[in-house]
Amino acid sequence: MFCTRGATACAGLIALLVPALTSPGSAADPVRMDVLVPITGFLALEGTAQRNGAVLALDTPPDGITVTYDVADTATSPEVAVNALRRSLDRGNPVAIAAPIFGTQMLAMAPIAGRAGVPLLTVSGTAEITRMGLDIVFRFFPGDDVVKVAQARYAVEELGAKRPAILYQTTAYGQSGHEHLVETLAELGVAPVLEEAIDPGIKDMSPALERAKAAGADLLLLQLHSGPTALTVRQAQERRLGLPIVAGSAMHQPTTAALLEPQQLRGVCAETASSPISDHRPAAKAFTKAYRDRFDAEPDAFALGQYDGMQMALAAVADGAETAEQVRNWLAEHTFEGVAMTYVSDGTGNMAHDALIVCYDGESRVPVITKRYGDVDGVLAKVGAQAK
Amino acid sequence: MIETSVHLLPSTIALGASYALVALGFVLVINAVGAVNFAHGELVMLGGVIAVGIASLLPDGMAAPGLIVLPGVLLASAAAGLGLAALAYLPLRRAPPVNVFISTIAVGLIIQHGVTAGFGPEPRVGPPLVPDVDQSVMVIVVAGAAIAAVHLVLSRSQFGRMLRAAAQDPDMARAVGVPVGLTIAASFALAGALAGTAGLLLSNQYFVTPSDGANLMLKAYIAVVIGGWGRVWGAAAGAVLIAVFETLIAVWLSYAVAELALYLAVFAVLAFRPQGLFGEAEGRRA
Repeated sequence: MFCTRGATACAGLIALLVPALTSPGSAADPVRMDVLVPITGFLALEGTAQRNGAVLALDTPPDGITVTYDVADTATSPEVAVNALRRSLDRGNPVAIAAPIFGTQMLAMAPIAGRAGVPLLTVSGTAEITRMGLDIVFRFFPGDDVVKVAQARYAVEELGAKRPAILYQTTAYGQSGHEHLVETLAELGVAPVLEEAIDPGIKDMSPALERAKAAGADLLLLQLHSGPTALTVRQAQERRLGLPIVAGSAMHQPTTAALLEPQQLRGVCAETASSPISDHRPAAKAFTKAYRDRFDAEPDAFALGQYDGMQMALAAVADGAETAEQVRNWLAEHTFEGVAMTYVSDGTGNMAHDALIVCYDGESRVPVITKRYGDVDGVLAKVGAQAK
Repeated sequence: MIETSVHLLPSTIALGASYALVALGFVLVINAVGAVNFAHGELVMLGGVIAVGIASLLPDGMAAPGLIVLPGVLLASAAAGLGLAALAYLPLRRAPPVNVFISTIAVGLIIQHGVTAGFGPEPRVGPPLVPDVDQSVMVIVVAGAAIAAVHLVLSRSQFGRMLRAAAQDPDMARAVGVPVGLTIAASFALAGALAGTAGLLLSNQYFVTPSDGANLMLKAYIAVVIGGWGRVWGAAAGAVLIAVFETLIAVWLSYAVAELALYLAVFAVLAFRPQGLFGEAEGRRA
């Protein structure tokens, strides 16, 4: 029963137990791209999406390319992640590695990967990982300087918020998002009336909601993980708070929406890099179908970001890159049309520059893409201008 | 703000009742074997996951899905409690206490990762005990009944006396005819069943995620430390006190300050009344 319902996780377990899978392809010399992501622990949800996206890409390489890969669980500690990286480097010569969404692990792994010259492809949002002066980190998910700008702008410019309250997690994810929200709101001439830090273990959001109400908030901006986001939305509905909610990317995840009834989601919006299940473009629909067929689960933006990242690395190999250094240079210099968006490096490895706002209509758990914020940080325009 | 606090009172009691339910099975094992079961949080989580799993087999629109799945949850959770005893306690019962709590931590991690691998990492929502009834009320009612029942069992029943005898001096208990092994097994099974009940109720109210166990365990441990090691009513009072900090004090001062205040209060208890507010029922604190 569990394996039928949790086929994604079962596939993950199988991948853990079966090392060095080889994707279908020709008999050409195989390239190695390992997948080192958190499949257990508090980031297992996001890590599993990463794993699935990476595996889906690696199992369908371009014609003439053969890929071998191991999947290793980096769990929740930097030590485990570093050990996984060392094993990967010792075992072969990976030309690229799908690396953890957990920023703390990325910070530990990046210097080692830097010395080995192996590019790390991640969807981690931690700003610092592309500010370390290393040229091997490539982030295929927009950073907070992109998605938080979209979230704040949508709240202020589209919903007319003048007195927003920010509820954010005490984790690095929450604090980074909080800083960028406050910064963007200031640029828009709006000051939050409440900034409340919430530990991920907190189960009752009522105090935060009551404090927001007492502060005279006219909108809630959330930067919370999946469970706390759903708890906040549900308890806000139950308390009839009546405030619009613009949430962080956790709210776009199908697994978060599944915790709530469609009517509880009415009017709730969220920022995200993409929403594969809402996207009706042919490439997104094909990705969503392939993902559902393979994993019996709904894809989210983390899965698609990692998929696009690995596809870009495969495109580098297809274009003749044979070593890790060549793949790294290709990633740094080329523009890639992914399923979610166009990727190009800003010079420090930030590849994603677009954000979406999705909203729920109260009838379904599939959100509608409400607004696209393209090239938020202006990198695509800059690169385009340079190309011209 | 006073009006706000009054509004928050029901959810405070419900949260306290939830934590008390979690702490109950933990206290039971302390009373039975004098050992700390660090896997108790994972047993609660497992109960929630089992409830979600069984509920997924029910047709839509059942009148009382939570009540229907409850027997299955109780049985499966009791079996999990027995398994835990067989794996993490019985082989080490004559070893120093530290061995037992290391082994329960290990089993807890196995449960957590097993659930992640078998069921998926995502949070899930469990079935309501009875639909269209405020689940907070259900949590309070069930927790109240469970606390009273466990208190009566431990303090007034022959089984409770056997439990305490087996915990305090197993050899002497065996010499006077107490079936020590069976008593220990029964207490772990009962603790598992209580954890399963807590998991079922919490999974609807607050969702269930494979990584929830450690946080629940921390709350149970703090509740027991505050209330008095091995005291059923003490643990319940400690649980409500945690909830007061997390809601009533948080609404006045913010979560961060309330959490700081909670841990300062725990320090104060440890420093000035280490036996807990209600005194220790079980002397062998781990």
